[in-house]
Amino acid sequence: MIKCKNLQKRVPMAGAELEILKGITLEIKSGEAVAIIGASGSGKSTLLGLLAGLDEASAGSIDIDGTDLGALNEDGRAQFRAQNIGFVFQSFQLLPALTALENVMLPLELQGQSNVAQQAESFLERVELGDRMGHYPLQLSGGEQQRVAIARAFANKPAILFADEPTGNLDTRTGEHIIDLLFELNQEEGTTLVLVTHDAALAERCQRRIRLDGGALVKE
Amino acid sequence: MSMTATKMLVRDWRGGELGVLVMALVLAVGVVSGISAFTTRLQTALVQESHRFLAADAVVRSGRELPTEWLEEATRQQVPHALTLQFPSMVYAGDDRMYLASVKAVSSAYPLRGELSYSRAPFGDVLPATTGPARGEVWLDSRLFPLLDTAVGQKITIGEAEFVVTAAARTEPDQGTSFYGFGPRVLMHYDDIPATNVVQPGSRVEYRQLFAGPATSLDAFTQWLEPKLQDGQRLVNVDEGQPGIANALGRAESFLLLAGSLAVVLAGVAVALAARRFSERHHDYVAIIKSLGATSSTVNQLYGRSLLLLGCIATCLGCLLGWGIQSVFFQLFAEQLPVQPGPSGIRPYAIGAATSLTCLLCFAWPPLRRLAQASPLRVLRRDLPLENRRATTDYAIGLVAIALLMWWYSQDWKLTLAVLAGLAVTAGLGFCLALTLLRGGRLVGMSAGSIWRLALAGLQRRGATNALQVVIFAMAIMLLLVIILVRTSLIDEWKTQMPEDAPNHFMINIGPEDVQPIEHLLRTENIPSEAFYPMIRGRIMSINDESLPSTDDVEQNRRQRETNFTWSDAAPAENELVAGQWWASGTDRAVVSLEEEFAERLDITVGDTMGFLVGSQPLEAEVTSIRQLDWQSMRPNFYLVFPPKLLAPYPATFMTSFHLDASNKVFLNRFIRQFPTATVIEMDIVVEQIRNIINQVSAAIELVLMVILAAGALVLIAGVQASVDARMHESAILRALGAQRRLILGGLLIEFATLGLFAGLLATVAAELSVFILQTFVMDMAYTPQPWIWPLGIFAGALIIGGLGVFSCRRVVSTPPVLVLRQL
Repeated sequence: MIKCKNLQKRVPMAGAELEILKGITLEIKSGEAVAIIGASGSGKSTLLGLLAGLDEASAGSIDIDGTDLGALNEDGRAQFRAQNIGFVFQSFQLLPALTALENVMLPLELQGQSNVAQQAESFLERVELGDRMGHYPLQLSGGEQQRVAIARAFANKPAILFADEPTGNLDTRTGEHIIDLLFELNQEEGTTLVLVTHDAALAERCQRRIRLDGGALVKE
Repeated sequence: MSMTATKMLVRDWRGGELGVLVMALVLAVGVVSGISAFTTRLQTALVQESHRFLAADAVVRSGRELPTEWLEEATRQQVPHALTLQFPSMVYAGDDRMYLASVKAVSSAYPLRGELSYSRAPFGDVLPATTGPARGEVWLDSRLFPLLDTAVGQKITIGEAEFVVTAAARTEPDQGTSFYGFGPRVLMHYDDIPATNVVQPGSRVEYRQLFAGPATSLDAFTQWLEPKLQDGQRLVNVDEGQPGIANALGRAESFLLLAGSLAVVLAGVAVALAARRFSERHHDYVAIIKSLGATSSTVNQLYGRSLLLLGCIATCLGCLLGWGIQSVFFQLFAEQLPVQPGPSGIRPYAIGAATSLTCLLCFAWPPLRRLAQASPLRVLRRDLPLENRRATTDYAIGLVAIALLMWWYSQDWKLTLAVLAGLAVTAGLGFCLALTLLRGGRLVGMSAGSIWRLALAGLQRRGATNALQVVIFAMAIMLLLVIILVRTSLIDEWKTQMPEDAPNHFMINIGPEDVQPIEHLLRTENIPSEAFYPMIRGRIMSINDESLPSTDDVEQNRRQRETNFTWSDAAPAENELVAGQWWASGTDRAVVSLEEEFAERLDITVGDTMGFLVGSQPLEAEVTSIRQLDWQSMRPNFYLVFPPKLLAPYPATFMTSFHLDASNKVFLNRFIRQFPTATVIEMDIVVEQIRNIINQVSAAIELVLMVILAAGALVLIAGVQASVDARMHESAILRALGAQRRLILGGLLIEFATLGLFAGLLATVAAELSVFILQTFVMDMAYTPQPWIWPLGIFAGALIIGGLGVFSCRRVVSTPPVLVLRQL
């Protein structure tokens, strides 16, 4: 369960303060799939960053399954992310120095797990990349890279998966395939899914949509 | 995570990101350990070289026979020893031919250090010998053959014993350069002395006991020996009488240490630049792994381990390179060095490793350490600014580290300060000047053509970054100019000091009536010679009316001593007055001019009076000037010079020095027959050796120069690379908008060339300052401004930086812009 209360984000800009999020209050239940939608600059990605513990709020609180993110420092949040959170990004964000397999192993290693290679292999097989494990990101197509990213996101069995425009860099057909995969794994693993998107079709597949406009919640 | 660290390194290496970092480290370690090993081994060689000039490690000498118990003790302490005895004696060949020779009797173990040389015929090819003549045999000085009209295989007589001449004696390690008072050499066996019966109580002889061995046992022995020495017995060790090449090698060592220090600075800057770029490019990596849950300490561990691994690899490679560098140097030297260079030990490589560690800790680690502070939010927002606030602290740490490293390495604070002064001028003045110049460009640039506008706009937009880049380029160019300048003046000076036709023979004992005929003979034979100097043997008796102690045995500075006087109306060539004034031509005043070190030894200054005895007549003169002269010049040099009128009444012989080609050595046979009373002293072997060593040192210096140039090039490449990413990005956008290849490359060329031009200008100013300080205060050389470095510094700067910039950015016009944009 994600609970946030009166969440605000302000950044200094050209001598003044720019208010990006103006007091967001919302709740997302465990296992729920929620889409955050809105125009460019409405604060979607900022909200996602805060909910995922990548950034600190200027005011307000975020509680995830009883953990107050505001009480944690960056290292505390990092440990929290390692245990509870998975990510899928628009630009895939794979480490170019590591192979597909090593990219998937990374979060498992950070958790200090054993048998990481086996677990990572099984996830890559689930995203149908069993034969490309030794390939580097640059040797993979955009769709394949995003599948590796999905495998990586699910590898540490996170409670919550955050996705930032997961189909933004992909063509429609590949995008659809990725979405199918994402929802399939989401259901199998019982993960809470929070995604930011411009894609109406993708948003439609979620159980709930949260619309942002000018940093404020428009309707839930 | 260790797997990830290794993996990351391997991939980054393949991606070329670590190339500059690793190469800079390897070069730093290589140059530092190589030069350090080289100088260490050279020093051990030099010590041996000076041992060689004693023919031993320690020598006891005395005018009376030395106790044999000392030799027995040496045997007990396992210290090898030898004996020599030197005395003047008439040598006879047949009944009517005789000559006063300087006889030296040596035991079979002689020499303990260095080697003897001989030839099968007088003035023939020189051959090495490990021991002197056997019993019953003698070797004669080449010039004795014509004087005695003898040949190899014939017999001569010394005292009551007869000997067979078996070779011509050419050089002895300990023959020294004092050639007065003794005639040509006759070398015989020590055990033959009793048979000659020439050494009687009161004879003018010099006994020597020679000792050699490992430092520990020799030290123990000399400690045992020292308290037993009596008046007239003197222990001579290595510190006295350095070889003639010591000066040249000393300066070469300064140069090498300077070069090594500069290499450290250059490599440090290259490491810092490369690490900074590496860290900038890794911000995104860190953001990703932090978003996946890595804590700052995990990130620190990851990069710390990578750096450690990298450091270990680079240090090993660097030590290998260093070993290679010093081996190549000694390969160059091998034939010229008369002794085997000693081992360098582990210290040079430890210095190399310490350099590597310092470079890593002070230059590479600060930017990498800040990576851990990168915000994971960058995974969502790539436009987030990089964490670079503490860059100034990095510079401060780097500067202190550089200064300490240089000082520790060169052990010479003057040298360190000279380089730091140049760097400070470059940095301080450079930054202000660069900012002003870059700002000024706006007014001119706006109305210029499109390429220029593009380039100048680029320069302006990154004003502060560019100014920093100018400073870094300027530092690299400055250091390169410094090393080129110092090398050039060093080698030039050696060349003038040791020209090909430098005198290599001395001629003494020339009677006044022979001066004209000999001058004429040398001229007709086309043999270049110095002026003929009169030489009068005299004795220094008193200073300021205070009589000096007369004993010859007491080894002290203020005592009566015999020396050679000369007269001259003008100050001898190459002599520099350091105090007082030279006398007016034709003066009849009783004055004298002294050599600087001689005056210091006797504690005499201008205005003091000295009393002399010439023959049996007293003479008094006031010291009016003190001269500095170059003892290695192979010209006749004198401690004391008087005005001609003062010495005219006394009988004089004359001396000169001349250059004789090796091919023309037989001339000496004819000459000696024609002028039997004149004495020729061959210095050609020594001169040749000095020249060869200087040539080899020059070659070593050129080699070091190349290595330093490589280090400098690395800094320039690292500097250019540092700004390539931003420029690539802009150029890719321009290309996407339809800009032509020419426009983009032209713009980049102008941009980088302008930076290079400014950098070159600053570098030249700073280099002149550094070189001035270095030459005046460190290397003890005369500073002469070198106008040619101005165009070199400025235009080479523009050309090289411009070229490197365009080369590094060339990918932007050869790959589709979309790829460039995607990869960045």
